[in-house]
Amino acid sequence: MAFLEIQHASKNFGGETAAVKDFDLAIERGELVSFLGPSGCGKTTTLRMVAGFEQPTTGNIVLDGVDITNMPPSKRNVGMVFQAYALFPNMTVGDNVGFGLKVVKRPKEEIQARVHEMLSLIKMPELGTRYPYQLSGGQQQRVALARALAIKPQVLLLDEPLSALDAKIRVELRYEIRRIQQELGITTIYVTHDQEEALALSDRVVVMSAGRMEQVGKPWEIYNYPTTEFVAGFVGTLNQLRSRVVNATTGELDYHGQRFTVSGELPAGETVIAMLRPEQLSMGAHEGENQLTGELISLAFLGAIVRMGIRLGETIVTLDALNERRLALPKIGEPLTISFPPHAAWVMSAS
Amino acid sequence: MKKKRAPIWVWLIFILGMAYFFIPLLSTFEFSLRMVKGTYSFEAYRVAFSDPAFYKNFGYSLLWAMLTIIISSVMVVWTAYWVQLRMRRIRPVVEFVTLMPFVVPAVVLTFGLVRMYGRPPLLLTPTPIPLIAGYVVLSFPYMYRAVDAGLRGIDIHTLTEAAQSLGASWGTILFRVIFPNLRGAILSGVFLTFAIVMGEFTFASLLYWPAFGPYIEEIGSMRAYTPQALSLVSFMLTFLSISAIQWFGRGSREQQAQVAGAH
Repeated sequence: MAFLEIQHASKNFGGETAAVKDFDLAIERGELVSFLGPSGCGKTTTLRMVAGFEQPTTGNIVLDGVDITNMPPSKRNVGMVFQAYALFPNMTVGDNVGFGLKVVKRPKEEIQARVHEMLSLIKMPELGTRYPYQLSGGQQQRVALARALAIKPQVLLLDEPLSALDAKIRVELRYEIRRIQQELGITTIYVTHDQEEALALSDRVVVMSAGRMEQVGKPWEIYNYPTTEFVAGFVGTLNQLRSRVVNATTGELDYHGQRFTVSGELPAGETVIAMLRPEQLSMGAHEGENQLTGELISLAFLGAIVRMGIRLGETIVTLDALNERRLALPKIGEPLTISFPPHAAWVMSAS
Repeated sequence: MKKKRAPIWVWLIFILGMAYFFIPLLSTFEFSLRMVKGTYSFEAYRVAFSDPAFYKNFGYSLLWAMLTIIISSVMVVWTAYWVQLRMRRIRPVVEFVTLMPFVVPAVVLTFGLVRMYGRPPLLLTPTPIPLIAGYVVLSFPYMYRAVDAGLRGIDIHTLTEAAQSLGASWGTILFRVIFPNLRGAILSGVFLTFAIVMGEFTFASLLYWPAFGPYIEEIGSMRAYTPQALSLVSFMLTFLSISAIQWFGRGSREQQAQVAGAH
């Protein structure tokens, strides 16, 4: 039995459609699992059911063998970090971190020692006497993390913890959270709508849409082998070429008069959709690869990569080229040939 | 940089307003100093303060104010918190109910109380319960508005959930998290309530309980100079209460501005 089990949990707020439908997941001890999806997909509701702020309409939540489905949040041993930090404005940083221990009336020395330990963990040992309003957003969120961890929770829950922060601090704090999580070996659920965050942090990712689990897997599985159209479209940028099947055995397809081949089995049907990631495409005609020619209509220099938009039939195909100092950039409006190996594409049925 | 000066008519209106406010006060003050013929003195104040009845009535008013404040603040904070947290839909109803003293005149309220509680089986008029209850109702608009504004200023939803996930009970949340963060708001409600109860006349007079308001009225019908002195004392109380609100309010607003700035 896994450490934390969410067993067929559903939540209906009384509307026509359920917020969460049949969510079923087993999380191992020490694992960091993120729930990824657009807003309204049910990821936060699921997290709140684990925290105890929502009761599942059906299903159970079992933590370390104990059914906690109907236990109030204050009785569960679960630490929570919110998007809005939620530090108590009337207390110092130290009192915030020690709050959970004070509530259960631990001795003063123990609280002090624990607060000190937690502040060192978040690398803010000197700031215990400050008030929340004297800290930056990033510092406040670190304190919120320390406060949630001070009670030695069995599970750590993070609800979009970095969404309110600047891009740079967001990336910094992302790795900080991962470091602390691994150092303590704490079982963690991380809710986010930011795919980069989910891919960079997680042991496993649950992609959700409209209250359902779309796919569960390791980050690279989710990115390279999406099993549903939604996952393919939501995680990363994806080019979709609606093509006619020319030869199902060789994998030869026709896209607006241009032929190319894909490896692997083709789904049934006369029309299929070939999926291609922008970074798998390269500029120019390469020997032994598929070649397609279109018109370059946009070019964005993003620093490490150059993103190009090429009109190919009815769609605009996105191509990412790694920047090089000697890179000769093509001109907008000129024809451009792009290449990709047959194994770079995968095919889905056009339903 | 050149500072833009306010046009002259703005100053004119300001001065007119101040005159309207201060001239009666100054005249009252001037009049209260003339008890001894031909010279200014504080004789009227000495007489006022040497009357034992003054201390008795003032003391009663203080007691009524304290009881009102305790009951009203606990009731209103708990109600406003719960409405904001769980029952947002009934908020307009609660707001309307708290405005009752503005809609129903004090005389009507008092007669209602007397009719209801002036005879068995609910005979309460021999106790000060109807008086305090009336004062609590009187304090609702001030207390509720102040506390509600304070609650809107902090994210009580997330703070409540954060405290819950750290193991706090409802009592702990209310006394360790919500009350301290509403200090400024509650205090402004408290001082307004204090000022109102200290000068209140109708309830105390009709329910026949000793209080500062009826006392001034009574002295006013017997003496010339002392009531003016007492009116000024009463005004100073109100003025000090409002200054206290300003002072406490400033502290919390500064803090909030800084919190907002940190985002």
